[in-house]
Amino acid sequence: MVYQGLASKFSSLMLFAVVDFVSSDLEDVAQKCSLSYKALVAVRRVLLAQFSAFPANGADLYEELKSSTAILSTGIPSLDKLLDSGLYTGEVTELMGAPGSGKTQVCLSIAASMSLGLKQHVLFLDSTGGFTASRLYQMLQAQAEDEEEQLEALQRVQVTRVFDVYEMLRALQELRDSLSQQVLSSTGPLKVVLIDSVSAVIYPLLGGKQSEGLALMMQLARELKMLAREFSLAVVVTNQVTRDSSAGPLKPALGRSWSFVPSTRVLLQSKEATWEKTNTQRVASLAKSPRQPTGIQVVLDVGSGGAQELSPVTPTQGL
Amino acid sequence: GQRQLLPLAPALRARLVAAGFQTAQELLDTGPCGLSKEIGISKEEALEALQVVRQECHSDATQTAGAPGTSRKCTALELLEQEQAQGFIITFCSALDNILGGGVQLTKITEICGEPGVGKTQLCMQLAVDVQIPECFGGLAGEAVFIDTEGSFMVDRVVDVATACVQHCQLIAEAHQEEDHLKALETFSLESILSHIYYFRCRDYIELLAQVYLLPDFLSEHSKVRLVVIDGIAFPFRHDFEDLSLRTRLLNGLAQQLIIVANDHKAAVILTNQMTTRIGQSQSTLVPALGESWGHAATVRLIFHWDNNQRLATLYKSPSQKESTIPYHITPHGFRDVQPPAVTQNPEGTELNPRKRPRREEEK
Repeated sequence: MVYQGLASKFSSLMLFAVVDFVSSDLEDVAQKCSLSYKALVAVRRVLLAQFSAFPANGADLYEELKSSTAILSTGIPSLDKLLDSGLYTGEVTELMGAPGSGKTQVCLSIAASMSLGLKQHVLFLDSTGGFTASRLYQMLQAQAEDEEEQLEALQRVQVTRVFDVYEMLRALQELRDSLSQQVLSSTGPLKVVLIDSVSAVIYPLLGGKQSEGLALMMQLARELKMLAREFSLAVVVTNQVTRDSSAGPLKPALGRSWSFVPSTRVLLQSKEATWEKTNTQRVASLAKSPRQPTGIQVVLDVGSGGAQELSPVTPTQGL
Repeated sequence: GQRQLLPLAPALRARLVAAGFQTAQELLDTGPCGLSKEIGISKEEALEALQVVRQECHSDATQTAGAPGTSRKCTALELLEQEQAQGFIITFCSALDNILGGGVQLTKITEICGEPGVGKTQLCMQLAVDVQIPECFGGLAGEAVFIDTEGSFMVDRVVDVATACVQHCQLIAEAHQEEDHLKALETFSLESILSHIYYFRCRDYIELLAQVYLLPDFLSEHSKVRLVVIDGIAFPFRHDFEDLSLRTRLLNGLAQQLIIVANDHKAAVILTNQMTTRIGQSQSTLVPALGESWGHAATVRLIFHWDNNQRLATLYKSPSQKESTIPYHITPHGFRDVQPPAVTQNPEGTELNPRKRPRREEEK
């Protein structure tokens, strides 16, 4: 922004950075550079406008949020109710549960309804090898009759396999690059990113003597929150659960440091307590939310049509 | 040489540089034992570091060489086409194949949990034979890697299973009398089956980890391998681990490594796991061993158990199939369906090993 001539004059005065210039005494600079005071004030105003952070008032922020946030329906009415109408862009939503609790099924169901119903492009980052296209296809077939529509929907779901944290960070970086260049090409308007799962790539790094694991987890956390915020994306992540002791309650994995990342957390559990009674029903409970009271539960069926609503919200159901 | 830095911990990197290591190749040539001695770290840490190095080299190699390894980025439609073209490894028990959606899937990890004697190793040996069935008989014409940690692999049993499988194919060939069937049978024999099961015996968790981290190299040289069996993933990890967080970390690293192997080499990975008792507030239940975080490693989970005298298989976790339970049988010929009651008059159709019945049953 500073004209070439000015730049050389400034450097002779040891003003190398914007900060140096802005904080210097303009009268002093005007004298030493033999430039007009008015010109320097104009330059400073431009630099300040471009580089400083302006305090914004709450009302402005709210207006901005209202215009940039979208609420995307998950396609499962009862889950939408749990999430206060659906997935909010600009936020990270977490699905947590034990193995077999249905996290991947719910993610696939969300991908299916977003790409088919809302005609949105969806990015699915798979770190577990659990993404099965034929299952997604099965869900699409249950929702739409027209084969061409089904195939189109399949094409809107982009799947990237990332098996360690570095690959995941690389994939998120590529996403950021393509979004900031606003490359419409084949990806089209992207609003939803599903990551199944974050714990799979973080767990191998935690514990032991390596302290880098925590730093990498925080880097991933930062990337996800920034992506959601800057590009108004709805980010969905899946996480494991752990227990303190064999009879203790289930709690989300990855610890307290990760817990601030998702604004909303949903716990998925099988309706039956043991594996001996096989069933397709799952209970989704709200564990953390900025808008709803926690503890609300709904029952989902992860059967052939995809995760579906089974019954309205009734806290006394079954458990 | 590597033009970029390897993703290693700074402290570790400092030690490596101080010891004089310059390139990734030097690290790989030294090996875990040499490395741990040279820079004064434990063998586990050396193994982990080497695994990181190996992965970087491997991914660099595939990127620069443009190798036809499975592309990691594609649309769901492309994946669907890939999946539909892929075959399954059949188990010879049609009920089990049905609930699995056709058989054991390639590119996925399938875990079989169960108490001792219920038939996990039997199924593993059956699959190591079935993966080799020639394509004209509906098989994959693949090879198998068998990693044994408990010493439960019995060659004479594999001979029985393989012989029965060859006979089965011979019957098909006789019925259809086709050119390619007869040609395939020339090379599909007991000797060839046995020679294409690559057997590794690992006595502790370090050997197991090393073997798994060496798998990508082995599979690059033996590209026909379509099945990797680890019989007894729990055994090396259940005892002698004071640091449980280290165990969790090693197991999770192992899981990711296996997922990469399954995906990049289009192989099915089968793991067998033990059961353990979880003591709850009001009851105690049998659950798969190795804890909550291990359960996420496998995409498909089968639990083998007893119901009085009948062996049952329950599909507990699957990305595309419903949970269900079916009965199965272990016969002298291998893993099979339960015969309908009218047929089993002769003793050949009954249990192979009478020792392996549950204790509740009364001896006849």
